[in-house]
Amino acid sequence: MDQRNNKLGWLFASPYLIYSLLFFFIPLIWSIFLSVTDWDLIAPTFNVVGFENFLEALRSPSVHAAFWNTYKFMMIFVPLVTALAIGVAVLVHGLPRFKGLFLIGFFLPYLSSGVVSALIVKGLLSYTSPVNEFLRGIGLDINWLGSPLSALFVVGLILAWKFTGYYALILTSGLESIDKEVYEAAAIDGVKDGQRFWRITLPLLYPSLYTTLILGFGVTFGIFTEVYQLTGGGPGNATNTWQMEIFKQAFSNMQVGYASAVALLASVATFISIFAIRKILEIWGKRNGWV
Amino acid sequence: MKKRVPMVLSVALMAGLLSACSTGQGGQTGSEGGGESSDGVTTIEFWAAPNPTQQAFWQEMADAYEAQNGKVKINVSAIKESPTSEASIQAALAAKSAPTMSENINRGFAAQLASSQALVPLDTLEGFDEIVQGRSMTQTIEPWTFADGHQYVLPIYSNPMLFGWRLDIIRDLGYSEPPQTYGEILELTKKLKAKHGDKKYLWAKPDLADPTAWKRWFDFYMLYDAASGGNKFIEGDAFTGDEKAGVEVLSFVDDLRKEKGLLARQVTDPFENGTGVFTDVGPWTFTTWAEKYPNLKYNETYALTMPPVPDGMDPADSKTFADTKGLVVYASATKEQQAAAIDFIQWVYGDANNDAAWFEKTNLPPARDDLSTNESFQAVLDKSPQLKPYAENVPNAVPPMDNAKYNDLQTIIGTEAFNKVVKGEIAPAEGWAAMKAALEKALD
Repeated sequence: MDQRNNKLGWLFASPYLIYSLLFFFIPLIWSIFLSVTDWDLIAPTFNVVGFENFLEALRSPSVHAAFWNTYKFMMIFVPLVTALAIGVAVLVHGLPRFKGLFLIGFFLPYLSSGVVSALIVKGLLSYTSPVNEFLRGIGLDINWLGSPLSALFVVGLILAWKFTGYYALILTSGLESIDKEVYEAAAIDGVKDGQRFWRITLPLLYPSLYTTLILGFGVTFGIFTEVYQLTGGGPGNATNTWQMEIFKQAFSNMQVGYASAVALLASVATFISIFAIRKILEIWGKRNGWV
Repeated sequence: MKKRVPMVLSVALMAGLLSACSTGQGGQTGSEGGGESSDGVTTIEFWAAPNPTQQAFWQEMADAYEAQNGKVKINVSAIKESPTSEASIQAALAAKSAPTMSENINRGFAAQLASSQALVPLDTLEGFDEIVQGRSMTQTIEPWTFADGHQYVLPIYSNPMLFGWRLDIIRDLGYSEPPQTYGEILELTKKLKAKHGDKKYLWAKPDLADPTAWKRWFDFYMLYDAASGGNKFIEGDAFTGDEKAGVEVLSFVDDLRKEKGLLARQVTDPFENGTGVFTDVGPWTFTTWAEKYPNLKYNETYALTMPPVPDGMDPADSKTFADTKGLVVYASATKEQQAAAIDFIQWVYGDANNDAAWFEKTNLPPARDDLSTNESFQAVLDKSPQLKPYAENVPNAVPPMDNAKYNDLQTIIGTEAFNKVVKGEIAPAEGWAAMKAALEKALD
């Protein structure tokens, strides 16, 4: 009986295992192999260069920029998208009807093309756009994509617009799962309306919030389309990201071995960062007695 | 409602997953097998540039050729841009699904592919010399010879890049024709700013501050080729830049910046909308202008000139950058496919009327020595007089470098010198020195 269950277990798990093998483990091993070569995948021969690609990457200013910019995007994007998603979730949760319809409406940007939204933003931020004409009229001449800080903010804002609806959906699900009796009991115990969100809602929303925060932090390690379309990683390297750097090295410079080394460094940075963030969130939850 | 939210969540997640899985592209991805079939028919895969006009031209050529040659089948498809045509070609080569031949290859990318032995040296194929002779392109193809002495690309078109001037705006400043030297342009800039303030600039273009490699072709190289009389800048693995000309170019850009004549900000169609009065113009632009900006009329609202030159130099000696792309044959193709490919090219370029049809459809000047003298092209030039200065200047245009590191090298021009000068972050002479040092290090 146990053996039959084992076989059934393997059978049911096999689609995921095959998927992981094909799209994760084999590419990972391939990438490790490429990273110690100077191969461009096209030439009939290649040299094994050991850790040279890694050393070069660790010395590269554009890789340094990609590393730090990820955390800069994190500091802009995560608080913004979390605040907006909580706001949307609370608003939708309070609606008497059509909650699903509104949630789908907020979710639509997530399905929209990053290329299209980036091009629209490009038009909006044009020097001659009505927005900038107005701003210049009141003495504000902002070079949105030409100065490092504003370029980071513009990309962060687009991402927040895109992901707010998605995270709001998860948070609304969390809000719906909070029993109304908890609020009623709290009211009897004298919890005021102003305290309700911080004392009841937020602690009980923690599991959903934890998920959205981890997803949000994860997004910042995979930023590509918006940066590719809007800034190309510039000005200078101000908005360069891991994905941009990998793309530039692999497909513009045809240095696939070097790009693989950068990709592996990005994976290590992502793994360590997400692990640390998870621990911090768990400590935060435990310290407040939410888990 | 409690049940509905998880349902909406599930549907949304599924939709997200499905949209993430989609590549947005379908159809075949290259040659599947190819070569000679049992019935003696050789199938070749031809990847055309990813625009409908060029794809239609090559499809017409393939159909006409097949009608006369039953032993060859040509499958024409557009190069996918995921996200660039170069990346698609590289991916296809890595996946062993490269086509037999493709167009839309610039000299720098060809150098990258040639260094990986992915291209056939065309001069080693039987019939190549006949193509060059038959198409009257001996002079045009000469600067295309690679450092190893081979020809890997057959240039299809060669755009001598020109500068456009908004005649209507500069006429209001008292000019009947565009200025041609740096000093004259600075004078015009002062008048323009005095009259229009921050509403108009001499050169409004976000790319001026963007270090992306190819963008240097349409600003730095145009000015540098003119100032240096067509110096090659980088030849093979050596930096051969003309310092005097380079510093003059950077000083000119710096002077324009000081006069507030440059706008390196995101701006929509600045030349077309009159925010800028001067910009690089390629002949592919005219089709868009005819549809979107019908007010732009040649020699009425705009004029075309060769790049300006430093004071004291004769504007008639100006050279420019050649935006030029061509055909390559991939080394992964079988001998039969390579022979069929060459035969097809020979058939296409054996008749000047095919080049005339190309010119008429695409506005891109065929890479021939006789463009302004051959009767076949007269009708096209008469119909579209704005193409005449392009046809006349084909011999005055310098193609891009043939170095496999061209992306890195041209990025350095921007990051160390040109972009910095545009932003006022470095003096021209210092910028040139920093760029030269970085280029020599990269070439080492």
